[in-house]
Amino acid sequence: MKIALLGNPGVGKSLIFNQLTGLGVEVNRYPGSSVELEYGNVCYKQEKTEIIDLPGIYSLDGNSEEETLVRTFLAIGGADVIVAVLDATKLERNLYLFVQAAEFSPKMIAVINMIDAAEREGLHIDAGILSSHLGVPVILAAASEGRNIDRILPVALGEATPARVHVPYDHHIEAALKSLEKTIKTPMHTNLLALQGTGDDPVLLDAAGAIAQEIEMRHRMSVGQIIATNRHNFAREITSLVITRTAQKKPYDLDSLLTRTFPGIPILCTILFLLLLSVFMIGSWMEGIIVEAFTNLIITPFTALALPPLWDQIGFSLLIALQAGFGIAFPFVFTFYIGLSLLEDTGYMTRAAFLADRAMHRIGLHGEAIIPMVIGFGCTVPAVMSLRLLKTRREQTIAAVLVTMIPCSARTVVIAGIVAAFVGIIWAFSIYLIVFVLLILTAVVLSRITPGEQFGMIVEMSTLRRPQANLVLAKSWLRIKEFLFIAMPVLIVTSILLGLCQYLGLTELFEQAVAPVTVTLLGLPGYASTALLFGIFRKELAFETLAVLAGTANLGSVMTSVQLYTFAIVSVLFVPCVSTIAVLYRQLGARIAIITSIYTVFLGLFIGAIINILMK
Amino acid sequence: MQPSLREDYLEAVQIFSEKNSRFPLTEELAAALLKPVPEVRSDMAELVSGGDVIVSLKGEITLTAQGKQTGTSVMKKHETLQCFLSEILGMDKTSASDEACTLEHTISDETIDRLGKLIVTREHHRHHGKRKHTKSGDRTCRVETGEFCQSPCISDFHEGEEVIIQCIHGRACAQRLLDLGLVPGERATIKRKLSNGALVVQVKGCDVAVSPEIASAIGVERSP
Repeated sequence: MKIALLGNPGVGKSLIFNQLTGLGVEVNRYPGSSVELEYGNVCYKQEKTEIIDLPGIYSLDGNSEEETLVRTFLAIGGADVIVAVLDATKLERNLYLFVQAAEFSPKMIAVINMIDAAEREGLHIDAGILSSHLGVPVILAAASEGRNIDRILPVALGEATPARVHVPYDHHIEAALKSLEKTIKTPMHTNLLALQGTGDDPVLLDAAGAIAQEIEMRHRMSVGQIIATNRHNFAREITSLVITRTAQKKPYDLDSLLTRTFPGIPILCTILFLLLLSVFMIGSWMEGIIVEAFTNLIITPFTALALPPLWDQIGFSLLIALQAGFGIAFPFVFTFYIGLSLLEDTGYMTRAAFLADRAMHRIGLHGEAIIPMVIGFGCTVPAVMSLRLLKTRREQTIAAVLVTMIPCSARTVVIAGIVAAFVGIIWAFSIYLIVFVLLILTAVVLSRITPGEQFGMIVEMSTLRRPQANLVLAKSWLRIKEFLFIAMPVLIVTSILLGLCQYLGLTELFEQAVAPVTVTLLGLPGYASTALLFGIFRKELAFETLAVLAGTANLGSVMTSVQLYTFAIVSVLFVPCVSTIAVLYRQLGARIAIITSIYTVFLGLFIGAIINILMK
Repeated sequence: MQPSLREDYLEAVQIFSEKNSRFPLTEELAAALLKPVPEVRSDMAELVSGGDVIVSLKGEITLTAQGKQTGTSVMKKHETLQCFLSEILGMDKTSASDEACTLEHTISDETIDRLGKLIVTREHHRHHGKRKHTKSGDRTCRVETGEFCQSPCISDFHEGEEVIIQCIHGRACAQRLLDLGLVPGERATIKRKLSNGALVVQVKGCDVAVSPEIASAIGVERSP
């Protein structure tokens, strides 16, 4: 059996999913798209049941990747039962998606989540009446308290039925649906989409387009507007029958602080600064402990074994890779992900987007672009993947270049490990400053030269909530797992490769070849070029490799402060890592991936050369 | 050749071939379209070079895969449109226009309007050449659909005011707004307005944040 969770963003689907499946969640890309879905297995009455968490969407009519995915999923009957999760406090708006899904006539049940919040607002929902109107079993649940979550599986597996809802569409739409059904013989949900111009059958689209013109002439309104209005009105009717309100005293509205220019913007800046500062501080502190423990407990005993040189080299490279991986993943990335999940779960992210809208417009983007940018401070790969939420190619292009320039945690490691440790913490922050200035300059230029249209922000403000520790941790854990999954193999393979190259003497040849650039232009020692090269695989490798090649972890003893500073800034700016290039290529195509890589190489070398000349 | 003329030819060949289970001769096609044979013959030559049809030595016109696709598509489109119009009238389509005469005196304005449309569309079917002309006129209307409404935009109102949504201009951003409940006739409250015109609009109990340029696409009236 397969059960899929369907619902608007922020209805508590993930929490329900976590409670149903517990640990052992898998994140997989849905075939043919870059949307990632969470899969989990449970055993219920000796039967294996797979639970799928579909991406949160508002509608099945749109053309975003998520909406298309869920639509195809429903059309091909991807699951045996659809569990529609609805937010009790926003029942009317949530029923809109429910009635759309019902048109695909899968077996369904409705879970009205956050009933506790609704009760606090004085809303009472009659599950019996709602169930009789929808024609499916209705469960009133509160995932945050675990209330009635245990009923979901038995009801979904035992009582799910196709919903009996028929939106009374405008009679012109009804006539159009009947005609299309008669002449082209396609089902109603396909026809509804075709009338709005979505579909893949050219004959149907042609016919539907002709009718749509007729309807639009009569109504002086687009077919999409008529259909949406009909559905919303239907949802309102049902809602008015099942909800009774008792007046409640309104709680203090935090938004009166958070969404005003003042004090909203200072609050936003403080929150983002604190997030970065805490990642920087907690990260470097924890990394020190992990790296030291690793060295003392594993690496030193290993070198003491005195294996044959080839095996010693390979084993050593492997251990260094593991050390680097854990040294960055847990201290920096995990800390960051906890902060990020907190911002998302409290609902603050959408406020940040609203406030950032004006500044983002200056650089050709809009408020929602702040989300990939913030994610970019953790890891560039998921940040590039989240660019999907920007709608136009132009916005995606601008944001892609900016996101790859944002110092991710791996680059934070380089800054913290080289500059903060050996040059001074103020100098470390000056690198951030330089990167941000370059970022803004790049953005201003890009917004002038990138062709294409701009599309504004339309975003639902999520309800402000107190975050729940277990959910924040679970979310961060899932993300860090993904990070380890991408990062670790690259790290291990490249580290061993580097070890072999060194063993065979290839690195020296490379160093000699690029010596004019590294030594003359940047004023760095020759071996720094190999470190920079390996920084392309994973940014923090630049730091690790430099230490290995310099033959000491105390870099201050072999390089001058200017050299360390130059090295750090070049490796921070210089080419995104291979994983980023790969994901850029997949999301935005080869052109953007190549342009971004070349641009950052030149930017890195240029700024490095300037610093070398100025400070020498 | 006008694309509309091409479509009309291909549709006519398709209809003929479905009705008679064979492809028409040039003369037969000309007769079906009420056109002089030499004109049809020269037009066919153009269609042959476009890869839509193949004319045999005997003058039989066969549709290529490409021609058949277009022909079927145009035919289905007209069939559906006709079906749709008679659905609205609630009559079977052959009697629709016949009965119109007897009903003329007791019928509502709306029905007359619809009937008018129905007859116009049929006229187009008969005089194929003219049809596309009016159709392209329709298409301009379609693009302008959103612009019919003359209401002031939501950005002209202030924080705290309640409005009723009248229309959403433009198509690009419309879908998401509609999905979030910003549909014509819906009440909305402006919860926050920043100095640049970005808004938080409360609709159906949910707060929706929009950029200034999106706000200017939402036509509203003050709520009474």
